[in-house]
Amino acid sequence: MTEAKQYTCIGCPIGCPLHLEHDGNTIKEVSGYECDRGAKYAHQEFIDPRRSLSTTVAISGAMWPRLPIRTCKPIHKDQVLEAVRKIQALKLQAPVKMGQVLIRDFMGEKGIDVVACRTMKRADESS
Amino acid sequence: MLGRVEKKYGVVVVGGGPAGLGAALGARDYGEDKVLILDREPEAGGILLQCIHSGFGLHYFKEELTGPEYAQRFIEKVIDHDVDILPASYVSRIAADSDGIKKVRIINEKRGILTVEAQAVVLAMGCRERTRGAVRIPGTRPSGILTAGLAQKFVNLMGYLPGKKIAILGSGDIGLIMARRLSLEGCEVVGVFELMPYSNGLSRNVVQCLNDFNIPLHLSNTVAAIHGRDRVEKITVAPVGKDLKPDLARAWDVPCDTLLISIGLIPENELTQNLGISLDVATGGPRVSSTLETSMPGVFACGNVLHVHDLVDFVTNESLLAGRFAAELSRGVRRPGDNIQLLPGENVRYCVPHTLNPGHKHTVYLRCKAPMKPCKIRVGNLIEKKLRFVFPAEMIMLKLKPDLLDKFHGDSLRIDILPLAKEERND
Ligand SMILES: Cc1cc2nc3c(=O)[nH]c(=O)nc-3n(C[C@H](O)[C@H](O)[C@H](O)COP(=O)(O)OP(=O)(O)OC[C@H]3O[C@@H](n4cnc5c(N)ncnc54)[C@H](O)[C@@H]3O)c2cc1C
Ligand code: SF4
Repeated sequence: MTEAKQYTCIGCPIGCPLHLEHDGNTIKEVSGYECDRGAKYAHQEFIDPRRSLSTTVAISGAMWPRLPIRTCKPIHKDQVLEAVRKIQALKLQAPVKMGQVLIRDFMGEKGIDVVACRTMKRADESS
Repeated sequence: MLGRVEKKYGVVVVGGGPAGLGAALGARDYGEDKVLILDREPEAGGILLQCIHSGFGLHYFKEELTGPEYAQRFIEKVIDHDVDILPASYVSRIAADSDGIKKVRIINEKRGILTVEAQAVVLAMGCRERTRGAVRIPGTRPSGILTAGLAQKFVNLMGYLPGKKIAILGSGDIGLIMARRLSLEGCEVVGVFELMPYSNGLSRNVVQCLNDFNIPLHLSNTVAAIHGRDRVEKITVAPVGKDLKPDLARAWDVPCDTLLISIGLIPENELTQNLGISLDVATGGPRVSSTLETSMPGVFACGNVLHVHDLVDFVTNESLLAGRFAAELSRGVRRPGDNIQLLPGENVRYCVPHTLNPGHKHTVYLRCKAPMKPCKIRVGNLIEKKLRFVFPAEMIMLKLKPDLLDKFHGDSLRIDILPLAKEERND
């Protein structure tokens, strides 16, 4: 049985409304896009939608009480909320360096690390 | 080195955001060895430090960075280049003496009041957000009403949440990004209300910040009243007609404890105005020449203080140039003044810079008034460029070749954005 899904392309500000028809896991047809990027995006969203995740974690002894962090690659869209909850459990201590890996192979996915987005010195070090 | 400050500089940069950092590097690259950056915050980086989402640097670094990463790359470069940075320093006044030397007065928590001298000053103070007062929302004055950018600072730097049940007025990117940010932190975002019939944010942000979290976007709606005695209890939302006035007969109430306001940015120009520099009403920033010099010789401007940018990469490009021209001036290079005015025409809200000069390449930034697709940009009758679309929220960058103005003899040049005629469309 053919079913349909609607997406909005994020490729550019036009935001084409995309219409994807599928039968189970098989894509039948994509329409509504004005350029190839739209078709590609609809495929990606249907097969394996992913989002980059950035948030903050508590850090003590630094200039600010929060450290910005992100996953180095996008994670499964459905796992975003669970991922944030896992990350929230982290409690860090300054100093931390930009790019420092805080969690390796996050959410059981090889090669997806949680990294620090900036350096935070200890508050008494940074003049 | 951090915290070092001397009495005299070639170039003093006010503001340590991406614009200030870029200007300092531009000045150093040109050969000015005495450059100082001043910022009122405890560290340089500007608004980027609180913009923890990714989406920065695609043009400049060819990779997608978060705000703090973009900032740190520049701060490290600036420190490597021996630029002095003095944080926690509020610039309260700039004055020029009779031989053009600028005196910059600084209020620093530890050092008190001090004055430094500069041959050239670059204004890079960024912008601030429009508040409730700018749109005069009726109702009570409880706590729980704040701008989206301030909420972003609270959440991302200081670690506290502004409330639990959040309504957002305005669908620009900052509002959308905060809708996602607060949802991730466990708040309930009850809706985003937008006056215009279209979102002012990128479709990417509408999809990833609202749709992903099932947050409704109410277009052509506004907040007509705020209720609550000590704390916000609810807001009244009303649809707007063509005249953008709320239709109170069709209004409804939305319970919430917090209202975030995200209705646009205004260049931060108190210092500029005190200097008597002439401003452009459309941008809210100073009028500048093709060397990004304001109406006061030796004072340059770049970044959001000049006009509000949506892409930090454009801020960087512009400010590298501003720094370079400031350094030229401080090293005694004098260029002939511009002789061509650049004027916004059909469907152009503004264009920067305001004047041009033949024989040089120019980068012109402009914004349209209303969305249009497809269309063309016309510069006088010199060149035409087709575009698939223009949106008010997307700044347009136009590069002009050095020989473009060689055969132009007028004293003003108009930029228009026009719809494509039917026969022009198919290619
Ligand atoms: C919430 C938000 C989200 C954004 N998201 C994106 C994005 O996803 N991608 C992207 O490319 N761009 C984004 N931008 C745009 C980009 O970040 C800005 O255009 C850029 O940061 C502007 O740089 P600036 O240096 O002009 O201003 P700012 O970064 O605001 O820096 C100005 C600095 O000047 C200092 N200052 C002001 N007045 C004084 C004074 N009197 N004395 C001393 N110091 C002073 C301030 O403290 C501040 O540090 C976003 C902007 C905002 C606000
Ligand atoms: S399909 Fe192409 S034109 Fe349409 S929104 Fe996506 S990128 Fe833009």
